[in-house]
Amino acid sequence: MSDPTVAEGWVSVPLRRLKDDARLISGVLLYPTGRAVGQFGFSNAADVMSICALTSAINASARELGRQLDGKPFYETHHAGADRQVFMARCAAGGQELLFVGVFDRESSLGVVEIYFAEFQQALTMLRPEKETKGTGPTGDFEGELNRSLDALFGPLGKR
Amino acid sequence: MKTLSQIVAELSHLPGVVASMVVGAIDGLIVETSGMKDTGPGATDPRKHTAALGAYLYSKATRAADAARLGTPAFMRLEAQQGHICVVGARDVVLVTIVTPDANLGRVRLDMMNAAQGIS
Repeated sequence: MSDPTVAEGWVSVPLRRLKDDARLISGVLLYPTGRAVGQFGFSNAADVMSICALTSAINASARELGRQLDGKPFYETHHAGADRQVFMARCAAGGQELLFVGVFDRESSLGVVEIYFAEFQQALTMLRPEKETKGTGPTGDFEGELNRSLDALFGPLGKR
Repeated sequence: MKTLSQIVAELSHLPGVVASMVVGAIDGLIVETSGMKDTGPGATDPRKHTAALGAYLYSKATRAADAARLGTPAFMRLEAQQGHICVVGARDVVLVTIVTPDANLGRVRLDMMNAAQGIS
């Protein structure tokens, strides 16, 4: 399994620990706006770009669905596929909200991922993002933010 | 046939059993649990962690037993400085108990295995 690559160094240690402890195959940590902060398990920027866009959209949909069905947002989502499972949840660092999406298989379990994600959440609350993003909503430059974060993770386009 | 809540209640009443749980074998999530005994104020609740990691260890022990051509593990006991974690498989779930060092482990083992047969 590959080591995490990060756009912001402060998240490197907790992300690596989460990957190792929870035995995750791949994962991406991102801002709700879709900007990637760190990732592991991916070698292709296009994959991370798709995952960031989809996770951001799924998070927004799940929150609204939760509000409509349960009166409060759904913050954690789990999908069990035939071989692989997806876990999505939120965390916060320095007052800034972040989203995490991770993939695991039979080498781990939802219970194991949940407990180590809780430890990851705890670890992040003690850290501060290097570049705080104002507000939690979209800035209007979704594609620009996404591309800048992908450049940081995989190098500039053309050198990836 | 006993319900899962009856099973965890009966196991938790055994001397030395601090907590008993029925846990999903695949997802490691608690299906049914007893209360925690002997926890002081402010102590963290170990059940969720123990359930998830106990089920995980049992799945690895199952693979090890299979690799050694020993068949399915009947009973798994992890001995630590301040007690034991006991795990017994029962189809789609595992029974997990947290036990003090001075508990009657033979009785705990017997009752857990009988309980597992009741589930299977």
